[in-house]
Parts: sequence; structure tokens; C-alpha cells
Amino acid sequence: MANTEAEAVDFEPEDDDLMDEEGAADVDASSSPRAPLPKLKSAITGGSATSSLSAPKKTKGRGFREEVDAERQSRLSGRGFDSLGSDGGPGPQRSVEGWIILVSGVHEEAQDDHLQEAFGEFGEIKNLHLNLDRRTGFVKGYALIEYEKFEQAETAIASMNGGTLLEQIIYVDWAFSNGPSNGAFRRKNTRPGRMNRSRSPRRRY
Amino acid sequence: MLNKPEHGPSPLKSKTLDSYSGFDSLPSFLRNTAEAPGEEEKQKKAMAAMEEDNGEFYLRYYVGHRGKFGHEFLEFEFRPDGKLRYANNSNYKNDTMIRKEVFLTPAVLKECRRIISESEIMKEDDNNWPEPDRVGRQELEIVMGNEHISFTTSKIGSLVDVHSSQDPEGLRIFYYLVQDLKCFVFSLISLHFKIKPI
Repeated sequence: MANTEAEAVDFEPEDDDLMDEEGAADVDASSSPRAPLPKLKSAITGGSATSSLSAPKKTKGRGFREEVDAERQSRLSGRGFDSLGSDGGPGPQRSVEGWIILVSGVHEEAQDDHLQEAFGEFGEIKNLHLNLDRRTGFVKGYALIEYEKFEQAETAIASMNGGTLLEQIIYVDWAFSNGPSNGAFRRKNTRPGRMNRSRSPRRRY
Repeated sequence: MLNKPEHGPSPLKSKTLDSYSGFDSLPSFLRNTAEAPGEEEKQKKAMAAMEEDNGEFYLRYYVGHRGKFGHEFLEFEFRPDGKLRYANNSNYKNDTMIRKEVFLTPAVLKECRRIISESEIMKEDDNNWPEPDRVGRQELEIVMGNEHISFTTSKIGSLVDVHSSQDPEGLRIFYYLVQDLKCFVFSLISLHFKIKPI
């Protein structure tokens, strides 16, 4: 398997133009003097100019009225960001100590035990983050789960995606990817190509 | 180290306070147009779903100040291609900058968009929010759907600052959204890199 045993390595230098100011040239001048994301194109229209989605953006905020801060431009651009090694291929990326999956659609009253019970059978859960809404104190709606082995995470996704937890449909997918999402905002899981086997029956909890 | 008050447990972390539907946090114009609470919630969800379906998305959050230990800041960014960048700088005790990046799956981006949509931050405006000052500044820039916000304000120590501002409703949405986003990002970064952010 190509994507195991990734080691922490320095980020591969690349030309990083997303934050560059020049990129803003083709954006409606009124939208922003420093819009960092000029070339956004709708995944739905494929960037055609006919849709209302391509209309100039409605802008709001002091950020559009302030002077461009050169330092701000550079803070998150350029090099020197650490990342874990990647084989460059598609599919999920290994984290330092295991494989992380995202569960969304989690019931607001879910507790650690519910997730342990539902996801523990695919392998020992090394880490579970069930974050709370800071205002309400209820579960925010997602959980992040770490398994040690790829196969455990893979089986959890295959078994639980689209299943139910506390009578709510949950969606389960990898959290990290080896490379950029390819423009289109895909609803499908970004699973490795070999995941073509049929799905096991849904589980209920 | 940086921005401590915001990381403490929320004073409203009780299920009996503040109903989940959060009507009292909605902008007044929305409250007036809604016929029934159920309808309003449905509309909100439907609108959130629409925004989630639109492909364009970018988010950047910055909080920082310049002081004794240089320019101390925390910043993260979700890019349209799925790359999450995270930077945390302090010169305290010769600390060096932490800079991390990782590609997220569309599923994670979608969850991030959901959090933003449901907060309804895109309807707010920073016009009446406190100006950034010596204590620090926060910036939140989001592109979603056909809207692009770039809000700037001071640091917010606690809800007291929110209530005493000229736009408590809007600032409260910002205050909680920022905490929820930080929480999401810290989980992602700490699980992936096994570091403890901040």
C-alpha cells in the first residue's frame, strides 16, 4: 500500500499564487482591492459567465476599505508550511498516528459513548473529538475519529456512511486528502479507487 | 498565551440556557418576517443547504497583536482547493512560528460551510463593531456563494464586550462563530499533526 508510513517531511516548495495580489486582476475592481481568491469558478456552471453565480460578488466589511497590508498578504502565502508526506495520488491521507474520519449529521445530544458504541466495532478508537457548539453547549454536529489502521477507517466509512445514529442520518468520510479537491465540489466520497466492493448493510443504533 | 479568554468554556454551556434554535440571535429583520418558528427554522436550513451547494468557498481568520513578544498571531485559511493552512506565531520564550498545511476532503469543507451558513454571519456587517485597537485585531474573511465578507474588529475578551458594543446581535454571531471555527480547526490540526495548537 503506497500511502502507509508517511513521515513528517518538509513541505514541498511550490509556486503558491493563490494569495498573490496579482491574481485579483480579473475581478471586478469594485469588489476588493485585495481579493485573494479571484479565480473562483462555480463548480456548477463550470465557470461560464452566463450564470448569476458569476456576477460580481456582494462585498461587505472594513476589510474592503482598508489599505492593503503587505504583511497580511504574505503571512499565509509562500513556503515553509509543514505538511505530512504524500504520494501525490488521490485518496485519503494518513495523519501522524493514524487515519482520521469525519462524521457529520451527528445528533446534538449525542455523547462520546454513542460514537464509541457505533464506531468502536471497526477498531479501537484512538481519538474522538465531539466538539460542542460554543453558544448552546450542544454537539456542533460533527465528530472526528481516529483509527490506527487504514482498513479500520475504511470499514467504518463503508459501513456507517448514510447510516443512522440516534435516529439521524450520518455521513462518514475521510477527513484528510492527499491532494486538492478537483474543482468540482463532489458529493461522493474521495475514496481510493480500489474501494469498489459493495457496501455492507446499514447499521442502526 | 494568545487570546486566553476565548478558549475558556463558554459561560452559556448549559443546555437550559439559550434554546438551540437561537431565535434571539437572529437579526431583527428575519424575526419579523417569519410566520412561525418552525417555518423560520426550515427556511434557515434550506438557505443553508443552498449555500452549501454552491461551489465557491474561501475562509480566512486572523487574530493577533503586536507587543512585547513581537507580532503574536493565529491565522488559518480554508482555500477553494481544499487546502487548510494554519499559522501561529509568538516570540514568547523564543518560540518559533508554527506553520502547518493539509488538504481537506470535500466532506470537511462542506461541514465548515454548514457551520458558517447556519451562523448567518454573511448577513452581518462590521460597521458598528469595535475598531481594532492596541489590544489586538481580528479579521474574518469569507467568500461563499455570491457574497464576500471581510470583517475587522478588536479582540473580544468575553460576552461583556459583546453586550456593551453597538451591535450586540451581530457581534455575538461573530463571537460564537469564531470559537466554533477555531474549535474545528484545532481539532483537525491537532489530530493530523499531533500538536497542541495554542
